[in-house]
Amino acid sequence: MTSLGSSSSSTTEYIVRVPKNTSKKYNIMAFNAGDRVSCSTWTQARMERDMSARRIYGEEETPEGAAGSEFGKKQREEARRKKFGIVTREFKAEDQPWILKVNGKAGKRFKGLKKGGVTENASYYIFTQCPDGAFEAFPVHGWYNFTPQAKHRTLTAEEAEEEWGRRNKVVNHFSIMLQRRLREQERGEDEEDEGEKSGKKKKKGGGARGGDLRIHDLEDELEMSSDDSDSSMGEDGESKTKAKKDTGKGKAKKKKRKSNESEALEDSDDGDYEGLEVDYMSDESSSDEEPEKGKPSKGEDLPKGIDEASESEEESEEEKQNDEEAKEEEEEEEGKKTPVQMEKKKKKDSSGESDSSDDSDIEGETASALFMKKRTPPKRGGGRGSAGSSRTGSRPGTPSIDSASTSNTLRAAASKLEQGKRQTQGPATDSPAAKRLKMETSSQSPVPSGKSTPQPPSGKSTPSSSDVQLTEEAVRRYLIRKPMTTKDLLKKFQTKRTGLSSEQTVNVLAQILKRLNPERKNVNDKMHFYLTE
Amino acid sequence: MSDKTEVNLSGVKESKGVWLVKVPKYLSQQWDKATEKGEVGKITIGKKQGKTEVRFSLNAELCALGAVGEKDGSLQVPRDHPFTMHTVGGQTMAVFSQSDTDGISLEGTVVHRAECRPVVNDNYMKLKKLQIKESAKPQRLSQQLERAVTTVFKPVANHDFNVDYEKKKKSEGKMVRAERQVVLDMLFSAFEKHQYYNIKDLVDITRQPVTYLKEIMREIGTYNSKGAHKSTWELKPEYRHYQSAEEEEEMETT
Repeated sequence: MTSLGSSSSSTTEYIVRVPKNTSKKYNIMAFNAGDRVSCSTWTQARMERDMSARRIYGEEETPEGAAGSEFGKKQREEARRKKFGIVTREFKAEDQPWILKVNGKAGKRFKGLKKGGVTENASYYIFTQCPDGAFEAFPVHGWYNFTPQAKHRTLTAEEAEEEWGRRNKVVNHFSIMLQRRLREQERGEDEEDEGEKSGKKKKKGGGARGGDLRIHDLEDELEMSSDDSDSSMGEDGESKTKAKKDTGKGKAKKKKRKSNESEALEDSDDGDYEGLEVDYMSDESSSDEEPEKGKPSKGEDLPKGIDEASESEEESEEEKQNDEEAKEEEEEEEGKKTPVQMEKKKKKDSSGESDSSDDSDIEGETASALFMKKRTPPKRGGGRGSAGSSRTGSRPGTPSIDSASTSNTLRAAASKLEQGKRQTQGPATDSPAAKRLKMETSSQSPVPSGKSTPQPPSGKSTPSSSDVQLTEEAVRRYLIRKPMTTKDLLKKFQTKRTGLSSEQTVNVLAQILKRLNPERKNVNDKMHFYLTE
Repeated sequence: MSDKTEVNLSGVKESKGVWLVKVPKYLSQQWDKATEKGEVGKITIGKKQGKTEVRFSLNAELCALGAVGEKDGSLQVPRDHPFTMHTVGGQTMAVFSQSDTDGISLEGTVVHRAECRPVVNDNYMKLKKLQIKESAKPQRLSQQLERAVTTVFKPVANHDFNVDYEKKKKSEGKMVRAERQVVLDMLFSAFEKHQYYNIKDLVDITRQPVTYLKEIMREIGTYNSKGAHKSTWELKPEYRHYQSAEEEEEMETT
């Protein structure tokens, strides 16, 4: 060590050595400035390689030898890889990240990832000063960037995305992780109760979130829960996206239902479709509409039917019958080709395009009788509206192939029921074509119906020109199915549809009831009639 | 190597400060040529008008850009290298060393960063020019040949390996049907080793004609046409008694 004395500068010289034979490999452990890591505070540290990537590389699960193994499997696999040019990167233990644990279990954890390209163009050396004053330079073998690992719980990617979408609404950010923790607790507890709990929690969550509009969603959800399949609530009630979907669906359904109900309730605007211009080519469009609308409401109806088995069935069926009858009546009155639309209403599962109302009669009613479960949505007033507008004036007489086929298939059943249920005008003929023609003619001109038809034992054919008749048979049917009050019965045979005045209806109904002599039962302080077959 | 090694924290305890110096490649190459003792040069740390100045000067013998001892006068590695010093800033950098014998130990923390820069002069420029030329050379080279290479592939009536193959086949001869029992024994011992076999492999092992072998296999085994082990034969359940590996281990230990 020589020192040169100089007035303004003082230099000291040191020898630099680069030791040759060290077995030690020097590496840099770099921390982020913001983490404020101070190595002097460490009392204890452990470091090991993170070998978790090894499984990705060495995934040979097939047992070697004996059971389950194939002869020459390895070679075949290798050959296959070579053929396809699959190059798997070797798992190099040297390049794996480090895991550094400081101050034991409760202390910090760091993950050190190797930085690439450090030794490519320039070499780094560590200059340390030895006790003898000389410098020793060691080459740096690798550079690892150490980052602290979070011990607290974090959101997953999906959850984070979700929260991001709600960032404008959520005020209380602390609740986010709280909810998640609570959710995780439940998940561990009981799978079945999950749905309920999550429902409750959501409510809580909904309340906790300031300004969050969840409450309304939840209400909808709760309403819908009885209607929707339970799985939608139970399965993953936790994930809000699912909830959102549900609410979306629920809302849509609700709307649909509302619209359906409203449209069904609002009585047909008979004269609405009179002056409308119609495309002759519009068949497809309406038929397209129909199935679509059919499907969602069908979906809606089916679970409903399952949940509240008999009651709803009966009700809806009766409603449906009413609708049928209503439509049939309409046709007569309007003299339009609304048979088509009625047809469509009736035969949603089959085609949407049949013309003859005659067939529709039988088929519809057979359908209703036979296929009880197939709830062709009677509430789909919307479909009717659009169909009606497009249908009126559409080709009257062309028998569509579909109707023929369906009529053929149902003819056996139809013929049986024909006697009992035949309320149509025109003579009973077997050939569909003839039937249809007859219907056409009859529909074109409001013809007094039904009397000429070989009426069944029911006998009481009312002098109505509609297809809905206040017959004993009809009343019997209703009463067999469900106990009803007189009021209900009257509702079924609405004056508009039967063509009778209210007085007449009452009289006829009274006579029928006398004849049937149904049994009485008091339900809710009201006298109900019913029949047992 | 080391699973969960305790890190020797002696370096940080003593607050040993080290310098991290970035050294150009050529210089480190020269350093590699140093003698056993390892002396490569000298550092002078001086204070010039208040500023700390660090210079490194390479030993004379290492300045030659050729093998040591060979005085290649054409190019010389520059001698003087002033260091540009930086402070570490906020970033904490520690140095840890890994050795096979002693495990992992923390050597110290970096207190200064430095870059070793040569003094720029003509010599250096020449050196750099050379380096650039070297690196600009493409790794692969297309070269036009004057004459076609005739040494490698010659037209041959029958290739060597093909000839050998046919000879081998001839010597082995046709596969003869052995006794049924013998074949069964062979098959059973084969299936003891592996569960699924390809028919080709079985033919290989047993040296039996395919039809005969298939016949026997149909008797004792089933053919998997679908599933994980496609188109393989395995023994029928009643003939096999495989134990899982764990069970076998247990049996061994007990």
